[in-house]
Amino acid sequence: MYHPTYNPPRLRALFEAVLSSLAGRARYADIRYTATHLQHVKVRNGEIDLLSSTIDKAFGVRVLVGNGWGFAATSDVTEEALRRAAKRALEVAAASHIASTQTIVLSDVEPHVARWESPYQIDPWSIPIEKKIHHLQNALEPMRGDARIHQVAGEISCYRQEKVFASTAGSFIEQTTTQMGGGIEAVAIDGDEFQRRAYPNPFGGDFQAEGWEFIERLDLAGKALVVRDEALALLKAPKAPVGRFDLIVGSAQLALQVHESCGHPTELDRAMGSEISLAGGSFLQPDMLGNFRYGSDLVNIVADATIPGALGSFGFDDDGVPAQRFHLVENGLFTGYLTGRDTAPFIGRASNGTVRAESAARIPIIRMTNINLEPGDVPLDQLIADTKRGIFVETNKSWSIDDLRLNFQFGCEVAYEIENGKLGRLLKNPLYTGTTPDFWRSCDAIADASSWQIWGLPNCGKGDPMQTMRVAHGAPAARFRNVEMG
Amino acid sequence: MRHERDSYDILDRALRLAGTPEADAVFISTDQNISRFAASQLHQNMAEESAWLTLRVFVGASMGVATTTVFDDEELARTAAVAREAARHAGAIPKFSGLYRANEPTPVLDTFDEATAQLSPAEKATALRTMFDRGRAHDVDFAGVYATGASSVATGNTHGVRRWCRITYAEATVIALHAKGSGYATRRERRNDRLDLVALGDEATLKATLSIDNQQQLEPGTYDVILEPPALSEVFEWLNMIALTGQSFEDGSSFFVGNLGKRLLGENFTLADDSLDPDFLPFPFDLEGLPRRHYTLIEQGMPRTPALDTAWADRLGMPPTASTWHLGSPEHGAAYHLSMAGGTSTREELLRSTKLGIWVTRFNYVNGLLEPKTALMTGTTRDGTFLIRDGEVAARLPNLRWTQSMTEAFSNIEGLTAERRNVGMWFNLFGGTRAPVAKIKGWRFGG
Repeated sequence: MYHPTYNPPRLRALFEAVLSSLAGRARYADIRYTATHLQHVKVRNGEIDLLSSTIDKAFGVRVLVGNGWGFAATSDVTEEALRRAAKRALEVAAASHIASTQTIVLSDVEPHVARWESPYQIDPWSIPIEKKIHHLQNALEPMRGDARIHQVAGEISCYRQEKVFASTAGSFIEQTTTQMGGGIEAVAIDGDEFQRRAYPNPFGGDFQAEGWEFIERLDLAGKALVVRDEALALLKAPKAPVGRFDLIVGSAQLALQVHESCGHPTELDRAMGSEISLAGGSFLQPDMLGNFRYGSDLVNIVADATIPGALGSFGFDDDGVPAQRFHLVENGLFTGYLTGRDTAPFIGRASNGTVRAESAARIPIIRMTNINLEPGDVPLDQLIADTKRGIFVETNKSWSIDDLRLNFQFGCEVAYEIENGKLGRLLKNPLYTGTTPDFWRSCDAIADASSWQIWGLPNCGKGDPMQTMRVAHGAPAARFRNVEMG
Repeated sequence: MRHERDSYDILDRALRLAGTPEADAVFISTDQNISRFAASQLHQNMAEESAWLTLRVFVGASMGVATTTVFDDEELARTAAVAREAARHAGAIPKFSGLYRANEPTPVLDTFDEATAQLSPAEKATALRTMFDRGRAHDVDFAGVYATGASSVATGNTHGVRRWCRITYAEATVIALHAKGSGYATRRERRNDRLDLVALGDEATLKATLSIDNQQQLEPGTYDVILEPPALSEVFEWLNMIALTGQSFEDGSSFFVGNLGKRLLGENFTLADDSLDPDFLPFPFDLEGLPRRHYTLIEQGMPRTPALDTAWADRLGMPPTASTWHLGSPEHGAAYHLSMAGGTSTREELLRSTKLGIWVTRFNYVNGLLEPKTALMTGTTRDGTFLIRDGEVAARLPNLRWTQSMTEAFSNIEGLTAERRNVGMWFNLFGGTRAPVAKIKGWRFGG
């Protein structure tokens, strides 16, 4: 059981006092406190590559004065610093007026006084460091020995964020999320041939809003030799072919496809141009809502911030709006955006509660929650059996998509030939490319719930300064016809 | 922003509480104002005071790292205990000879500008409004960011090394949006008065409105390219990760491995890590306290050295390059002041000399993980891509996808401008990229 870094009644009294001082001068104001705890253990080739621990505390004050937003943050979590930040937020809002003529409308929000915590069984911080190291070494040591295995590495990371939010709308909300991630990888090199294979995902593994029980469930040691053997096999595997093929995309890779080609373009701030300077815009414009065929009839994509244990779940967003579940794509039609209080009125809707900030030191902006492709009704085995000639790809290796989220290219760690309904040879360096609507419209089969899995992505980047957000995507495997490879 | 005395006080207390003979620490505090705009409206505007301390302790040759944003003795003691606990469980770093002791003098550099540090949000908003008004005359709206700030950077260790420096930065990124096209300009400087927001707006406007009535499609294929500095900067961000860090050299994934001193790339490609250049983004030491020096990563096409922290320099038996920007980071050295040598041409000469080619303002969403041994990367063009035919801008092109080996590309440079520009990197407080415009033969564009 962890002990909060703040005293709730004392913090509430302070927040209410500061909000009172702002109430006469701002149309709206909110204050956030966050304490973000991180622990990261990385083992590489038998050595401890990284053992780090971070605690990051911050206050953030956001005010809306007339039609100008102002935000000020401080890492000094004292009353004096908070009051200074409140004053500075007003100054910044006044400056915004100089170069802004837009009218800002906020959708309604009910006041909430609430406490929310993500569930876990075993507190990540209750597990001693040496046990985490041992857990990784136990998985990694059997992978070593072959001279072509140049590197074996594994990571375990722990994350907890305490967040307190209060607003002039009358809310006082405490939230704590606890998350863990872990994974292993092998790098095989033979001459100029370089291959990496990871489990369950690259870039730190998979992540869930759970405790140590998630790391145990990953069974890293049980998967280690498979990872090593696949990395070695990729060295000698033929290159994935170039041309057009029917493509079956595995759950982990399809989760990233959903992230890049559905999650980001359905962020309303991108569609409105607010993020164009860094992240880009969106091909999905408001006049396409309800009438644009995003994918085939089979494609249903849902934003759901209420899934227990998923990385993109929470009780309330940073506007104080409750977490929600809603469709972005329904039976192939584009039907919804991710919105916040100051963007939803632009399309005549109320906020659906997706505004979040990395910490109290950053401005809340629209972020993905858990964006999921709903499962179909075909077992994966049958889907493969129904494919005469194709390619199966899995596990992301590289990703790139244009600023409107249309033209994409993904590389995967592994591919397998499909010939007459059977998985065949292992293939290396598969690449597939396409444009988002054409790709999703070519989806003619979605595997059932038995291949559906929710994957945590702790590193979604957006905003300036860059904010890293922790989101998740559920996906089964699915088949796409006539996709360009290479 | 904390000043020298405050910074050293926090640093000294942290090192005292480290409780081991060998420890080092970094304390950085920053005041910044970041103004984001879209549709020629200032829509996100923030001010921030932040400070953090990273303490690295060694138990023998085993290392543990902890970071905090609270600096009273109780919290510093807790941070030290966490770092010690980590170090006790970490294995010894092979061949590690200990933290930096030599304490040589650091270069004296002009890193701070009081006017930039004092620039108010209102002054910035006024400058933005001027740019917005100017854009309306050309039927363009602007999106982008105008960020200014001041940081105090202190580092020290238990061997008596103490360093402190204050820096300022001013950075603007401007996208001009016309109904038929977009353009882009960016710049990062130590002084706000070198930024010239209006000139950046004009440059972006020119790119947004150039050839708007002559838009063409292009068949996939291989074309000569003229790359502006922001496009090269995107490539260098990835090159840093996959080829220039100590980690990528040690684990064998970098194309430097086996090629040090060999002419792998073109003779006209030289890439240095240079924080001494007064026209770039000067900074006098790295976060292990080593004095910064100019060193060449790739000299006339020959890989010379990766960026190395002291631990990986010991391990590899090579000199450290004063390239530590995070204590205890697994990257083990990174080049944060990437300076590509220029040539003798002007941009106009490069364009005029091109029979058939593509002029690229910037890239989008580059990824360099495809095949690290050849630095195979992919990305798209963005905010101003033009067809050059017979030395003239012949048409505006849509955004194009490309997939290209950088070892091949940097063997095929046909010309470089003498003029170079500073471009920021989002993760890099200390530096960025300084690059010319480059003309490169045979760049591969796909569908």
